[in-house]
Amino acid sequence: MKNRLKVLRAERDWSQGDLAERLDVSRQSVNAIETGKYDPSLPLAFRIADLFGLRIEDIFLKD
Amino acid sequence: MMDTARRRYIGRMIPIAIAYMVAVFVAGSIIPNGAAPTPLTVVVALVPASAVVGFIWAMGRYLTDLTDEYVRLLEVRKALVATALTLALASGWGILELFTTVPRVPLFYVFPLWCIGLAVGSLVNRLTIGNAGPCT
Repeated sequence: MKNRLKVLRAERDWSQGDLAERLDVSRQSVNAIETGKYDPSLPLAFRIADLFGLRIEDIFLKD
Repeated sequence: MMDTARRRYIGRMIPIAIAYMVAVFVAGSIIPNGAAPTPLTVVVALVPASAVVGFIWAMGRYLTDLTDEYVRLLEVRKALVATALTLALASGWGILELFTTVPRVPLFYVFPLWCIGLAVGSLVNRLTIGNAGPCT
């Protein structure tokens, strides 16, 4: 699944490590989600959406 | 940085691994080759087996302790590859033993084979999704 995580992160000048720390996940998890290798669970997708103050569908896009 | 679940896992695995090696050495020293399965030899031989159960328990606890769902996925994939490899090789060799005169392989080697399978699973993770997982 495509997503805008990298762009949203860059807008805030956060590294993958910064985002990982805020989400309480590993940096490799953030990398896997950003590169589309892993689709997060619904609870993690909600945590990501809450962190950016957006809706899930504003971050994760249909292929 | 190492997460709490992994720290706990390593903290459990080190004493279990030491106990396993000592128990195998002691059982090999005490029980003569080809000894009959008396209550004493069975009890001594089962001590290393309890360490193997400890290994399996520690791995299970690690999977349930992990809070990072992606890392858990990597670990579960490794365990599935290890299980598939072990079942395939053990069953294949078992059938050969049943119908031919190939050398008998002690069942003792099933668990070490599964552990080797974890390393293979790590390689499969790296080749398919780019991350090996932290525990190999």
